[in-house]
Amino acid sequence: MIIVIDALNRDRFSDLVNEMYRLRARVFCDRLGWDVTIKDGMEIDLYDELDAAYVMSLDQDGHVVGCMRLLQTTGPHMLADVFADILEGEPPLRSPQIWEATRFCVDTERLSRGGRSVNSISYVTSEVMIGAFEYGQSAGVLDAVAVIDPVMNRVMIRSGNAPYDYIGKTVDMGKAHALAALLDCSDERIDRIRAHAGIEGDVFLSEAEALALSGRGKALRAEPVKSDLEIYCDEQIANSTTAKERVDALRLKAALVEKIRSRTDVGA
Amino acid sequence: MELIDLSKIPHSDDRFTRFIDDVCQSLEFDHASYATFNPITGAIQGFANYRADWIMHYTRKGLHRIDPTIHIGRKSIAPVDWTRLERTPHFQSVFNDAPAFGVASRGLTVPVRGPYGDVGLMSVTRDCGDREWRLLKKKVIGNLQVAAVHMHDNVMSSDVPMAALNLPVLSTREREILQWVAEGKTQQDIGDILAISHRTVEVHLRSARTKLGALSTPQAIGRAVGLGMIKPG
Repeated sequence: MIIVIDALNRDRFSDLVNEMYRLRARVFCDRLGWDVTIKDGMEIDLYDELDAAYVMSLDQDGHVVGCMRLLQTTGPHMLADVFADILEGEPPLRSPQIWEATRFCVDTERLSRGGRSVNSISYVTSEVMIGAFEYGQSAGVLDAVAVIDPVMNRVMIRSGNAPYDYIGKTVDMGKAHALAALLDCSDERIDRIRAHAGIEGDVFLSEAEALALSGRGKALRAEPVKSDLEIYCDEQIANSTTAKERVDALRLKAALVEKIRSRTDVGA
Repeated sequence: MELIDLSKIPHSDDRFTRFIDDVCQSLEFDHASYATFNPITGAIQGFANYRADWIMHYTRKGLHRIDPTIHIGRKSIAPVDWTRLERTPHFQSVFNDAPAFGVASRGLTVPVRGPYGDVGLMSVTRDCGDREWRLLKKKVIGNLQVAAVHMHDNVMSSDVPMAALNLPVLSTREREILQWVAEGKTQQDIGDILAISHRTVEVHLRSARTKLGALSTPQAIGRAVGLGMIKPG
């Protein structure tokens, strides 16, 4: 399911935004080898500070499994600057009805684990695209220029979502390449993607639903809470001053391990 | 779209207010306003066709300093329906008294980002029911976006240092396509000539119109000829 996060609601979704930055680090640095800056395991650039909007796909555990960043082309955006090489020195498109899509990626590791169709790479790619196009339509946007890598391009072509054209040329971004594709935000394209992926109905989560889902994800990700008994045992181990005391404390914990484990399970 | 072209109106004080009136007339809104932050001084400059007593009230109370349609609306990339702003701290303090001045609290703010960090906000309001509002938005949102950028770019170029920065920079493709249109070719013809899709032709034309500050393709051609970018057809 899709949630759009922008500067107006991102305070409420900082966990999801950080998870997205980590996903981007894994995809654009580790997998594609693009020349991007990673800090604390997160890929963040100056365009993230320009109040961009993000279209995110969440799985049933509230994890970010796909994302895309959107910016207006009337103001600062990547093709005007960082990706200027793609346009071979030509000035970029500028229109209130054309948005730029960048950092489009999906979590292939997580998605290939499941094997279920709703979790497939092509499904999530399609869901993010539907979310972005419908959001764009509501804003009066007619086309998107998307900076993507060749693998994403192929996934899109095979998902009923082939770009209708490309602008500029394909450039080297390190290990992998980048290119700029044109996509119309039209009902026809949305219908085609939906039919291909078998996605029906509203793809958008309300903010409340997204918060609930992300909260669930957070609870699942959290370390299991220690029981009082386990805390007591660990304290005994930590406070032991002689070798004998330490061995006794470890034995005590070992003897109580069944109780500790069952308590933890109840707690979880 | 049948909007007056701001650059064709002599530089009189009321040309921006006249454009706002025209936006309301052609896109079926009750009121419209435009605000921008001067990128150099940070001052807010604005134009509106609200009732004079509301403008008085708004200015006297300094509501522009807290108005969420300006300060929060500017952070969105998409038009912001005011229902999204209702729960922000200052919305009620700004709009509680609005109905007494004939101002509906049903509105939409279109944020425009310019290339130099400049931001403009065009807001429109209409007193109507939910369904009517939804249908109206859907119908006019594209034209409203175009109108908002036209307004913003013209306000920016009315400022002398900004005007120097805002000379249009067309790509080779955009100039080439304008030249073919000037010579009477259709978008389909041009797509065939250049071996690109006709939608790509349309995208370049749309971009050329925006860069040239034109609301229609003939206007864009006139301006491109005037600037010596293309030859007359």
